[in-house]
Amino acid sequence: MTPIIDFEGVSKWYGNVIGLNKLTVRIPAGVTGLLGPNGAGKSTLLQLATGQLRPSQGRVRVLGQPVWNNAALLRQVGLCPEQDAFWEWMTGFDFVRTCARLTGMGRRAASEAAERALATVGMTEHMGRAIRGYSKGMRQRTKLAQALVHEPRVLFLDEPFTGTDPLGRHEMIEVIRALGAAGRSVLVSSHVLYEVQALTPNIILLHRGRLVAEGHVRQIRDLIDAHPHRIVLVCDNHRALAAKVVAWDDVEGVKVMSSESALLVETRRPDAFYGRLPILATRDGVRIREVYSEDDNLEAVFKYLVNK
Amino acid sequence: MTTAPTSITLGPIREAPIRRGFMLSALAALFILTLRQNLRGRRLLVLSLLFLLPVVLPGVIKWAPDSPPPEALEFAFVFNLIPHLLAPLTALLYAAGAIQDEVEDQTLTYLLLRPLPRWALYWTRLAAAWLTTSVLTGLFTTLTLVVVYWNTPELWGDVLPRRAAIVVGLMALAQVGYCSLFGIFGLGTRRVLSLFGGLIYIIVFEGLLANFDAVVRRLSVVYYFRVLSLHWLVPSGSTKWPTGDPGSATRMPPWSEIWSIDLTTAFSAERCLTILLAVSALFLLIGAMRMRSQEFRMKTAEGS
Repeated sequence: MTPIIDFEGVSKWYGNVIGLNKLTVRIPAGVTGLLGPNGAGKSTLLQLATGQLRPSQGRVRVLGQPVWNNAALLRQVGLCPEQDAFWEWMTGFDFVRTCARLTGMGRRAASEAAERALATVGMTEHMGRAIRGYSKGMRQRTKLAQALVHEPRVLFLDEPFTGTDPLGRHEMIEVIRALGAAGRSVLVSSHVLYEVQALTPNIILLHRGRLVAEGHVRQIRDLIDAHPHRIVLVCDNHRALAAKVVAWDDVEGVKVMSSESALLVETRRPDAFYGRLPILATRDGVRIREVYSEDDNLEAVFKYLVNK
Repeated sequence: MTTAPTSITLGPIREAPIRRGFMLSALAALFILTLRQNLRGRRLLVLSLLFLLPVVLPGVIKWAPDSPPPEALEFAFVFNLIPHLLAPLTALLYAAGAIQDEVEDQTLTYLLLRPLPRWALYWTRLAAAWLTTSVLTGLFTTLTLVVVYWNTPELWGDVLPRRAAIVVGLMALAQVGYCSLFGIFGLGTRRVLSLFGGLIYIIVFEGLLANFDAVVRRLSVVYYFRVLSLHWLVPSGSTKWPTGDPGSATRMPPWSEIWSIDLTTAFSAERCLTILLAVSALFLLIGAMRMRSQEFRMKTAEGS
């Protein structure tokens, strides 16, 4: 099968620092997770795949075409970048419509496309407000909407779950799943295995610019479950949350991080733990502001894979 | 709380309603976006305050006894302060920021991801920078002329609109040179460095070297502005004004003498125009080629 994204012997150097190291990977159609700890080269890979960076060595092709300086190809490519940057003075609608207009759509078509994209990510209600007043989750959704607005065939999402609350994360996962089901190819980068696992069983593992593994998520999970998984929950009422969480069977330890209004939870069954979080947030009225997984466990797996 | 459906079904992929051809619609959208960006923020406020200097100062000076005639004030403010300092400074801030601002704000990604050739992106941003700087310079130049010639018979005849129109046109022409040059300054270097380099250029070339009666002054935009001014404009009224001593008067030397430009040996107006536009076109080409090959690495949290 012809790969949608094709990296052949690609290296990228930033001076003496290496971003990608002789990476050869062929990514087929569908949803694929790109996993790696911070500094693994995920963002470099995505920026190379979207023509923002030029490979120092090797060849990058998307949909069978070279990417660098190929403006026509960008009609079929969308990117939700990692950086939390916008033209802050715009409303969400104005921002997404402007992105549509920059793609070459006429006024009316751009307005309709912006409304559709914002509806897809659940932002219709807030699209008339200035972006500078948006929460982190709303900003992530708006970034996703601008990536979708011109209906690209291939989507690149760089850490799309960063800063989202559990409910928002769940909804974002539903949107990405739906995009895959609608026939779009999606490459999602994350440093949290369990986020990606909720989307797709197909993953690529990067570490220090190299391909460590690719394939089915189950193989990676078997490795990661050998280590306790550490999850940080940021919450105003963190002591009350600690009391609830410590009663769960699958929780092995809870550490209160008062200075950060957060809990550090250790569990060997992260699936079950993550599954309960949205219910906790909605039913028990606990407002969890942020959830993230510490890199330690994933880092351990990478070390294992690199050294095996 | 945002609302999203818990189960989402999207339609099949369809061809987005994107116009074929040269993407004029996208470039127009980019041009309008850039103008909107230029018309907000502290930069416009600071420049407007600076541009108030040549508007307010002549008004104050005119109140003083034995004040110089309008021609002397016009020469000092309209033909020196504005073209020597304010016009290039405005061009530096807008043209160098055309790409640099987006890099610093990390929003360039949203432009680079669109199906626009990079050279077209660069030229469109610079075109918007040129329009902004030309309007800003032209508006305050006209205001300065009005203040300088206020209460004189020349105001509603010679100065407005003819003389003002020519001066504003000359300023816009000078901005073509400045914007095409400073656009390159904004590619590949940090904002602080490009602004510093631009200021050095303004002080050394446009401020100092332009005043030397030597070939090197032909490297400055101000030189061509001056020669064209001499070709197309002459002082509109008296060039004498009274001093403190009764019966004596100070004579203002001809502009060509002050600028050390002999029109009989200087470039013709046509040649000045050709050189200025050709060099600007060369700078635009260099900038476009640089933009085409330039990588713009966005800072990410992971810093990979």
